[in-house]
Amino acid sequence: MISLAMILFASLIFTGVVVRTKSLASGRKGPGILQPLKDVLRLLRKGTVFSETTSFIFQIASSIYFVSVLMAILVVPFGQSKGLISFDGDFVFFAYVLALGKFFSIISAMDTGSSFEGMGASREALYSMLAEPAFFVLMGSFAMLTGHTSFHGIFTALHFSSHVSYALGVLATFVLIMVAMIENSRMPIDDPKTHLELTMIHEVMILDNSGFGLGLFTYAVNLKFAMYGAIIANFFIGDVPWYYAVLVFTAVQVLFAVIVGLLESFTARFRMAHNATFIFTLTSASLLIFFGVLLLMGKFI
Amino acid sequence: MDNVQLVIATLFFTIGGMFFIPLLPSGVRATASFIFILINAVLTSIPALDALRGQSLNVVFQGTPFLGNVPVRMDALSAWFVLIVNFTCINGALYGIGYMKAYREQKANLALHWSMFLLFQSSMLWVCMLQHGLAFLVAWELMSLSSLLLVMFEHQKKETIKAGINYMVQMHIGVALLSTAFIWVYFVEGSFDFEAVSSFFKENKNVWLFLLFFGGFGIKAGFIPLHSWLPHAHPAAPSHVSGVMSGVIVKMGIYGILRVALMLESNWLLIGASLLVLSVATGLFGILNAAIRRDFKKMLAYCTVENIGIIGAGIGLFLIGKGTNNPTLSTIGLTAALLHTLNHSLYKSLLFFSVGSVYQQTHTRYMDQLGGLIRKMPQTAFFFLMGALAIGGLPPLNGFVSEFLLYSGFVEGMKTSNFYISTLMMLSLAGLAVIGGISLLAFTKSFSVIFLGNPRQPLAHKPTEAPFVMRLPQYLIVAAMLAIGMFPQYFLNWVANLEVLAGHTPDKAAFVHLNSAMVNIGLYSLVFLVLLLPVFFIRNVSMVNRPSAIITTWGCGYVAPNNRMQYTGKSFSKTLGKLLGFLVGEKKNYKEIAPEEIFPKERAYVSHYTDFFENSLIEKLTKPLLKGMNRFEFIQNGRIQYYVLYGVVFMLLVFLGTLFKLI
Repeated sequence: MISLAMILFASLIFTGVVVRTKSLASGRKGPGILQPLKDVLRLLRKGTVFSETTSFIFQIASSIYFVSVLMAILVVPFGQSKGLISFDGDFVFFAYVLALGKFFSIISAMDTGSSFEGMGASREALYSMLAEPAFFVLMGSFAMLTGHTSFHGIFTALHFSSHVSYALGVLATFVLIMVAMIENSRMPIDDPKTHLELTMIHEVMILDNSGFGLGLFTYAVNLKFAMYGAIIANFFIGDVPWYYAVLVFTAVQVLFAVIVGLLESFTARFRMAHNATFIFTLTSASLLIFFGVLLLMGKFI
Repeated sequence: MDNVQLVIATLFFTIGGMFFIPLLPSGVRATASFIFILINAVLTSIPALDALRGQSLNVVFQGTPFLGNVPVRMDALSAWFVLIVNFTCINGALYGIGYMKAYREQKANLALHWSMFLLFQSSMLWVCMLQHGLAFLVAWELMSLSSLLLVMFEHQKKETIKAGINYMVQMHIGVALLSTAFIWVYFVEGSFDFEAVSSFFKENKNVWLFLLFFGGFGIKAGFIPLHSWLPHAHPAAPSHVSGVMSGVIVKMGIYGILRVALMLESNWLLIGASLLVLSVATGLFGILNAAIRRDFKKMLAYCTVENIGIIGAGIGLFLIGKGTNNPTLSTIGLTAALLHTLNHSLYKSLLFFSVGSVYQQTHTRYMDQLGGLIRKMPQTAFFFLMGALAIGGLPPLNGFVSEFLLYSGFVEGMKTSNFYISTLMMLSLAGLAVIGGISLLAFTKSFSVIFLGNPRQPLAHKPTEAPFVMRLPQYLIVAAMLAIGMFPQYFLNWVANLEVLAGHTPDKAAFVHLNSAMVNIGLYSLVFLVLLLPVFFIRNVSMVNRPSAIITTWGCGYVAPNNRMQYTGKSFSKTLGKLLGFLVGEKKNYKEIAPEEIFPKERAYVSHYTDFFENSLIEKLTKPLLKGMNRFEFIQNGRIQYYVLYGVVFMLLVFLGTLFKLI
């Protein structure tokens, strides 16, 4: 329960912090922290324009996408306390429920019959496919290290004991940040702040969404960021009382948001052709974690 | 009547039905065939259900001519496959009643078709029950031949003939391997009974005999590089036949492999690890090819290859578990394999049926010519969507359950202290994740290109929704899939019983463990749907009093968009195809515009993907063979005089042979 509350809280300010960091980095004052949230609220109150090409798929897709992210959040624990959903192998459920949402967001983009949106849809499908093994190898490695297969089990049993394990934590953080960037189509994979048609993946997929549906899609991005932030935070919370945990959690989320902001300020978007290589390289970072775990467990002969 | 009589009765119904169906007026042949199939299904399902409850059927027919003592056994493993065969065949026949209406002019052809369909079901049932090597091969052969005739329904088409011959040749290579295996066992043990195989394994090295069996059964199942009949045979066959073939005939190969794998006595680790590697490679290869194909039936055929890989990975885990003395792992592996067999037979037949309806309405198998069918055929679109979600392994449908089991198996397998096995498990885990990702791409592509957007080409006649008799079996399948997806624990218990009965003692603790995970999966799938309702409801309520407009798709300022500009299936998967170009080999046919060509002429651009194994491995072998064989063409020259001469020469040889006591 506490993890859900914390993630929801983090999602309220996450994008705000990102935007603020970006404006400070470029020497502007920038909007308030809550501005992205206000934008979402404004969208939710607005009327809707539909394309005449679309079918019922388009109508249900935004809700399914949003709920799939919510379901995934329910799996994420908070330090010592479980998420609302916790069972052995729940990280598989986590990944596949997100994939379900993605499935619908992709087909809803194709539902409009627009060539732009088709392009975004095809890229989204390809990039999330390429990012998949990185996440699974990462979670698999920690499952092997701890002997547990649920998020909660893994994070409670995870103790950083030697130098190698710290390296693992850092690598895992790197991989998770990158997975979050890919999942949300942010820099350096895609630049959400360019003119809409030039944004190549997520933003172009939701071109035809408006009003409530667009609000759901937009807020789901915040939720996803906060969710990955929470997973990263769990690597560092460990076995501490809840008030420290809340502090660590908030710090990690803010730091994560600042990193995202800085990344977006100081890097340029990759050429689309380079993305595939870049994303797949993440898997090798995950494999490094795996070999680190093998090393820790003394399985190298 | 006891169960033995029930099973024997299927023989009479099959033979009777095969002769009876052609005598009926052509309008009711399909229905009659369906009724016979239903009778056969009931007759065999009763003993199958008994077998799953622990009362296996076990009779030996003493002293039959030629074959000797023929044991007929229905244990739990057979029963599981018998039930799968029956459910899929009933649905297939029901769907076929509607599907074959379009061909009602071809009366004789239809009579043969429906007779063969009955024989096809019956032979598959007997394949599961006969446990005498030669008798088994007879049933196996009947199954291959009847399905061959089913595939070649549209025999006037050149590609169908080609696909049929390809299928026939490959099946007989399989039979040759299986015969060798059985005869080898016979020479060593002196019996064709399957129990002799078991005792063979106890006394001899296991690998080679298993390899022979695996070759024979693997061709049927479609493991790479033995898969190349699938992408030809499935598109050629009528859709209900492709559905049943893809749903169950490849599973007969899995049945054979499982039957043999359960009898193994040593070399588990070697066989299991090899099988796992091959299976993951099969899965990756299959889904990659499925993602780039544009012929939707070919796409589904490759997708079958992928799923065979997933089932094979389960069997591999089972064997590795046995080899490393890890009962938890072997239990998870076998459970995943068996459950995925059921799941795949459900959603693959569903997918073939739904694209069959599309084919019947549009007469094209190329998805890039379609589009926007969801408005004309909403229910068919729904079926395909359900199948696509299930095959991608997404909750809340059944595909997720078996893939989840496999993931837990891989994580379990990593726990061993063996470095190699841990690494193998991790790579397989990553492989399965990639398979999941590519199947997401493959099926978002197929669904959206066929059903969403606008029609890409004008169609000859307006498509309408498929008739009720074709939709009914699809509703049944969707119901079964949702049942497995939402209440997986009950099915897990079934499989648990089955494993006990099939001679493998599953690990109790592992089952309790899996069971709780299954309960959770079912529960949270339900929670997902329950959460979806309020969100969707709020969305709808919020839209009531707000302005809403329906206009054209946002074209980014371009004012003359047309339907040909939509993203096609080809472009959707192009980047993936380019990325893995070394495996999929795109063949293009296009002449670049030369600089001096000031007024370019009209030109065409053709591109198609080739199958790596078929083009660079099998053809490299068969081409020289064909060339060599052509040198003997003069023997078969069509002149009667020569044939008479051959006869004379032959008789002369026999005469001389006997004269000099050579023969």
